[in-house]
Amino acid sequence: MVKVDGYEVPEGLYYTKDFEWLKIEGDKVRVGITDYAQKQLREIVYAELPSPGATTKQNEPYGTVESVKAVSDLVAPVSGTVEEVNAEVQSKPELLNEDPYGKGWLLILKPSNLQAELANLMDFNKAVEWHKNLAKEGK
Amino acid sequence: MRRTQLYEVHRKTAEMTTFANFEMPLCYKGITAEHLAVRNSVGVFDISHMGRVTITGSDAENFLNYVLTNDTSTLTPNSALYSVMCNENGGIIDDLVVSRLDKEKFMLVPNATNRDKDYNWLVEKAEGFKVKIEDVSDKVAMLAVQGPNAEKTLQKICNVDLSKIERFKCAPARLADVEVFLSRTGYTGEDGFEIYVWNATLENPDNAIKVWNTILKAGADFGIQPCGLGARDTLRLEAGLCLYGNDIDETITPLEARLSFVVKFQKNNFIGKNALLKQKDEGVKRRRVGLQMIEHGIPRQGFKIYNDKDENIGNVTSGTFSPLLKCGIAMAYVQTIYAQEGNIVNVEIRGKNAKAKIAPFPFYDAEKYGYKRKIQT
Repeated sequence: MVKVDGYEVPEGLYYTKDFEWLKIEGDKVRVGITDYAQKQLREIVYAELPSPGATTKQNEPYGTVESVKAVSDLVAPVSGTVEEVNAEVQSKPELLNEDPYGKGWLLILKPSNLQAELANLMDFNKAVEWHKNLAKEGK
Repeated sequence: MRRTQLYEVHRKTAEMTTFANFEMPLCYKGITAEHLAVRNSVGVFDISHMGRVTITGSDAENFLNYVLTNDTSTLTPNSALYSVMCNENGGIIDDLVVSRLDKEKFMLVPNATNRDKDYNWLVEKAEGFKVKIEDVSDKVAMLAVQGPNAEKTLQKICNVDLSKIERFKCAPARLADVEVFLSRTGYTGEDGFEIYVWNATLENPDNAIKVWNTILKAGADFGIQPCGLGARDTLRLEAGLCLYGNDIDETITPLEARLSFVVKFQKNNFIGKNALLKQKDEGVKRRRVGLQMIEHGIPRQGFKIYNDKDENIGNVTSGTFSPLLKCGIAMAYVQTIYAQEGNIVNVEIRGKNAKAKIAPFPFYDAEKYGYKRKIQT
C-alpha cells in the first residue's frame, strides 16, 4: 500500500481511469471503487448495483453510487457475469467511504475475456504514476 | 472571484467551493457531521457572502414598506422580520431579513447572488424618499451560530443576557470584546443567532477572525463544528427554507412559494401588490411543496415529477439527502391539485421513476428538532 497525496493505492490490484479497482481471485475478479473516488464523492448514501446473473461490459456503466454531493456511474473494469453482489454496501453505503478496498467491495465477476482486457487496465506502478498526476492537476 | 473577511481562515481549514462568485467553504469535517452538530448541539457559519445594506433616513420605514411585502411599521427597534421584495408582476426579486437598528435605521440582508441587483433596485426605487442606502457588506462581517447550544456557547463570551433576546429580536452587544449586533435568527430551522461584526473590512478582517476563533473556543465543550455551505444547504432544506435562485426567483410569486405569510395586503401600497391581489383572487396554479422519497434516490434540481398517468406535473427546484431522515428530500413545484400533503408522486431519477410523497415543512419532527423543539438538550 502506498499513499499518493493522501490517496491509498494498494499493491496487487489493477486500476481503471474510471476510478475502479480489480483484484484477481482464482478464476473470478473482485471489483470496487478507489480511495480517490470515494474521497471525491465524499459521503456516499446509495449504491445501485446489478443483480447476480447480469452481465458487464468493459468500460460500460453497470451501476451508480450517489453521495450527498453528486452521482457517479460505476464503469465496469472488465466484461463478465455478476456472480456475487455486496449486499452490505447497499444497506450500509458508508462502507464505500470507510473501507473502499475491503468491506466496500461491490461485485464479484466471472470475467469473459480477462487476459485481453487486462491490457487496458493499469497495474500498481502505472496507477501510482496516474494518482500522482491526478494530485498534481489539483483533483 | 470574491472573498469574505474570513477567507484566510477557511483556506487553511476547509474544502472550498464557488458559490455566487464567492470562494466559500463547502465543508470542514464533512457535510453530515456538520449538519448533525447543528441539529444536536451547535455549529458556526461564515455568512459574510450575503449582503448587508443599511437604509437610513426619515422615510426609511415608509420606503421599506413600499419595496417589501411585509409590514416594517410593525418592527420595533431591535427586532427583525423575514420578507420578500417583489417586482411589479409579483415575481420575487429577493427574500431577505430586515432588522430595525433604530427608528430611522434598518439593515437588509440580500442573498449573495443578489447583492448588486438588490442594491441597484433599492437605489432606483428610492427616488422621492428621504433615505440613504449604503452597501456595507465589505465593512461588516456576518457569522451564524446555530443549534440548541448556540445560546450557551455565545453566553460565555457575550456581555448581554441572551436569554432575554427572543426569536426575531436583536441587540447590540460586545462579543469576544468586539462590537457586534446580535439577531436571534437563522437559516437552519434551529435556535441560534446571526452576528453582524462591525469594523471588519476585507482589508482588515481582524475583528471577524477574533469573533470566529473565540466562538470555536467557547463552543468546544459542546463539540461545536465550523460548518460550510454544504451543511447550510442540507439544514435549510430539512427546515423547508427557500434558496433564492433554486426555489424562488423573479418568475415565481410569494403566493406560489407559500410565503404569503410575509405578504401584508392590508398595507397601503407596495410594489407587486396589484399583481399579487389578482393572483390571490384567481388562485395559484402551482405551489411549492416538500417531497420525501419513499424509494431510493436523491431528487435533484430540474428533475421532473409525474402523476400516476405519467403526466408531467412539476419539477424539483432543490434536493438533497437528509442526514436526519436518511432519505432523499426536495423542494418542488407541482400543479396545485397535486400539492396536498400525503399525495404520492413519481420523481424521474436518471430515466427511472421513484416514488415520493408530498411532505410538510419542516421535514423533521418539530417536537424533537428545530427551534420549537420540546425536548431540550
